[in-house]
Amino acid sequence: MGMNLSSGAVSSNPNVTPMIDVMLVLLIIFMITVPQINAGFTAVPPQGQNLKPHPEEDTDQVLGIDASGQYWFNKALIRPEDLEQLTRNTFEGRDESILYIKAHKDLTYDKVLKALDVVALGGVRVAALISDQMPGTESLVESDRLFLNKGGS
Amino acid sequence: MSMSAEGGQGGGHSNEINVTPMIDVLLVLLIIFMMIIPMSRKAIDATLPDPNPQVQTANSANDQIVLSVLADGKYKINQDEVDRENLFAKLRSVYDPRPDKIIFIKGDSTVTYGDVVYAMDQARGAGVKVIGITPGPKE
Repeated sequence: MGMNLSSGAVSSNPNVTPMIDVMLVLLIIFMITVPQINAGFTAVPPQGQNLKPHPEEDTDQVLGIDASGQYWFNKALIRPEDLEQLTRNTFEGRDESILYIKAHKDLTYDKVLKALDVVALGGVRVAALISDQMPGTESLVESDRLFLNKGGS
Repeated sequence: MSMSAEGGQGGGHSNEINVTPMIDVLLVLLIIFMMIIPMSRKAIDATLPDPNPQVQTANSANDQIVLSVLADGKYKINQDEVDRENLFAKLRSVYDPRPDKIIFIKGDSTVTYGDVVYAMDQARGAGVKVIGITPGPKE
């Protein structure tokens, strides 16, 4: 019984194997969720350098436009003719009328512009065009960086 | 040696793997992934055109700057043509002395969305605060 110098005759080390199991499973879940967070809708947003951080909130409204030009409103496929009514219903009586647009980068601009014109009719004032930060770059706009440092720490 | 219920084969010293560094690494990875999910989104804010404009075209200021994205990958600031590489320097020289940091972006119908976002991106970097989108052609 000379193996354990600390008290107790039985092993005093905590059994970490179940903990590792749980950790690994959580890790794998998160790794899978990150790319698949927009299930059903996939678009590669354009890359940019001087972007404004927009942390996600529950009240956000997101319009996705995929590579074939289909509209996805909050991850549900919709018909193009329903878009105006949908935005009108959504933004009626809201203080902030900001709509996030996640569009595929290789779409022709007139497709995106058409969608923007339609949502403008539906009451949207500001469109936040979702983009990816170019790897290894930082925004040149000071307020963006301040926000990042405050929110990231 | 009756104490080890599992792995009791051989060795007077502890023959278990030291898992503590592994748990450390896993925890850090887990935290990183948990933070990436809400933090990752970035966007460029663009103001949409008023769908019901008041009749004030005569009144509208004539010193506003319209950045056009042309079909052949060129850009035009009002009437001056600029190519992709010099766009940022040109915008900077235009906007540094100006008090109002407003730009209007007009895209040719055949350019890609990525090119237009590139233009907005450069404009933001050059100090533009408000990006306006010019409405598309009326049907």
